[in-house]
Amino acid sequence: MGALQSSPGHPEYIDLSEKTGFSIEQIGVLHKRFKQLSHNEESLRREQFEEIPDLACNPIRAQIIEAFFDKRNYHQNGEGTVNEIGFEEFLVVMSHFRPPSLHITEEQLEKVRREKLRFLFNMHDTDNDGTITLEEYRHVVEELLSRSGALGKETAKSIADAAMLEVASISMGHMEPDEFYEGITFEHFLKLLDGFEIESKMSVRFLNMDTITLCK
Amino acid sequence: MDDFWAGVLWAVKIWLYLIVSLIMVPAMFGFSLGISETYMTILVKTLEWATLIQKANTDEETIKASPSNGLIQREDGSMEKELEELRRSRPKPPVGGDFTLSDCFYFTRRGIESIVDDEVTQRFSSEELVSWNLLTRTNNDFEYISLKLTLVYGLGIFVRYCILAPLRITLACIGLTWLVIGTSAVGLLPNWRIKSWLSEWVHVMCYRICARGLSATIRYHNRENKPKKGGICVANHTSPIDIVILCNDGCYAMVGQIHGGLMGIVQRAMVRSCPHVWFERAEMKDRHLVTKRLKDHVNDKTKLPILIFPEGTCINNTSVMMFKKGSFEIGSTIYPVAIKYDPKFGDAFWNSSKYSMVSYLLRMMTSWALVCNVWYLPAMHQKEEEDAVQFANRVKSAIARQGGLVDLQWDGGLKRAKVKETFKEQQQKKYSSMVVGDDSSNSD
Repeated sequence: MGALQSSPGHPEYIDLSEKTGFSIEQIGVLHKRFKQLSHNEESLRREQFEEIPDLACNPIRAQIIEAFFDKRNYHQNGEGTVNEIGFEEFLVVMSHFRPPSLHITEEQLEKVRREKLRFLFNMHDTDNDGTITLEEYRHVVEELLSRSGALGKETAKSIADAAMLEVASISMGHMEPDEFYEGITFEHFLKLLDGFEIESKMSVRFLNMDTITLCK
Repeated sequence: MDDFWAGVLWAVKIWLYLIVSLIMVPAMFGFSLGISETYMTILVKTLEWATLIQKANTDEETIKASPSNGLIQREDGSMEKELEELRRSRPKPPVGGDFTLSDCFYFTRRGIESIVDDEVTQRFSSEELVSWNLLTRTNNDFEYISLKLTLVYGLGIFVRYCILAPLRITLACIGLTWLVIGTSAVGLLPNWRIKSWLSEWVHVMCYRICARGLSATIRYHNRENKPKKGGICVANHTSPIDIVILCNDGCYAMVGQIHGGLMGIVQRAMVRSCPHVWFERAEMKDRHLVTKRLKDHVNDKTKLPILIFPEGTCINNTSVMMFKKGSFEIGSTIYPVAIKYDPKFGDAFWNSSKYSMVSYLLRMMTSWALVCNVWYLPAMHQKEEEDAVQFANRVKSAIARQGGLVDLQWDGGLKRAKVKETFKEQQQKKYSSMVVGDDSSNSD
């Protein structure tokens, strides 16, 4: 309903709320989760992410975890990676997955979409050269597909190559035989995923706090 | 100076006489004088009053989300359905190999969801309370509310640490000493029928004293389903105190590793009066030996039912985790028991990575009380078509349902170990079969 929960002990939440757009309640919940994951310490490290069993099953967990430590995602135009993050960085990275508020203009929606896509682009562009090269693309495909069993490394490689070719043909139109496609730039990426409703697909929705019933 | 010491001695004597007459004698003979009941009534009223005060002082309806419910809304679709949706917005059909960068969005979102809220990590820390129960240790987020509440809290500290704790520690020591002496004494008797009766009586009496030592109030339900001789009793595990809780109402044979020190003395004494199954450390690794010894014990119909905790580790009493199949392969009747503690009066969960056994016991003795419900479930047998793992899961679900706990498939060993690589490979296999499967239908 919008009534501010009275949490007198957390004035810093108001700052964070303005910065990231989460509500005070959601920040409280995420802070609890942060403390749970970091075992009540002030900062989180990569190993503590790896302790989450659900995440361990995810084929691209390495990239997801890395995204938290990637300075490009902190909205401060930084580069490179860090080894530990505090609650503020955790929240800023999480805010990329916040569903957009319902009443925003088309322009703002476009901005939100661009931000989410930038996050995903950064996840795959690991050397930060502005393009997703064939190598990086292959790496993603390998991670997602099974290394053991029916799919050998060669098959994964050929799938990646084929997909890359397709991307090239979409972005560049017709290419000369000796032209070399360097990689997917951010602009190509945007073009590829134009019309893709990323704001709904890449959002994590918090349950409405009012309707959760107390257990016992 | 002498007078002072004489006075102290006199006080200690009176103290001991009081304990013996008011607590030990009723415990020995199984009746109650009503002292604990009065204490519990006062306690319950106090906590209710405290909750009311807290509610009155918060301005609006701030409902705290309990962490055992979901925090986020998850998509219900399976991997296939979601990837289908993601691909629908592709400009043209794929050439070779149905793979596209947008496929990883599904995994990315799932990954972030797991980071925000997952079912397992929260089970290894204490359950969160809805409103404060006036103990310092549960005072995480609750701020100063009113003077009355703080006064009661202060009084509570005094009562718990200065009156209750010494009383309980005395009782626990007496209980354990009596266990050792009593069982050794019974063990000296020749094997008459009266020996087993005496041994049961000594065991139950000592456990009753220990239970008084924790101010435990236990409610047993469905006692007609109590485990019988020649069976195996399985229960969910929250702390070592589970043993005291269950043995207050019947005699069981324990299974475990022989320790040194005080535990070892107790174990060796217990085995003199009635057979328990203790293993040396080296023997525990040999699964066949363990199974054989358990089988032998079970097949001897004069021996007591075995008590086993198949989870293998302590969980925080909000859920039941994977049962290890070892005890379900023995082939005897299984008597499931569900134990649920009431967290308002004290947190019974032993977080062994945070607290040692001694500090855990001290925490137990300085809580308000220990209130729990024990449900005896009807006996279960392994069915023809099911294997040990399915049988274990069936028993686990029955226990979870009765106790109001969440039924999880995860292994309690995750408290200390990491998830095996095989889980990640399963997801990879599933996804790759989608990609390659489509490929074979497309290429021609």
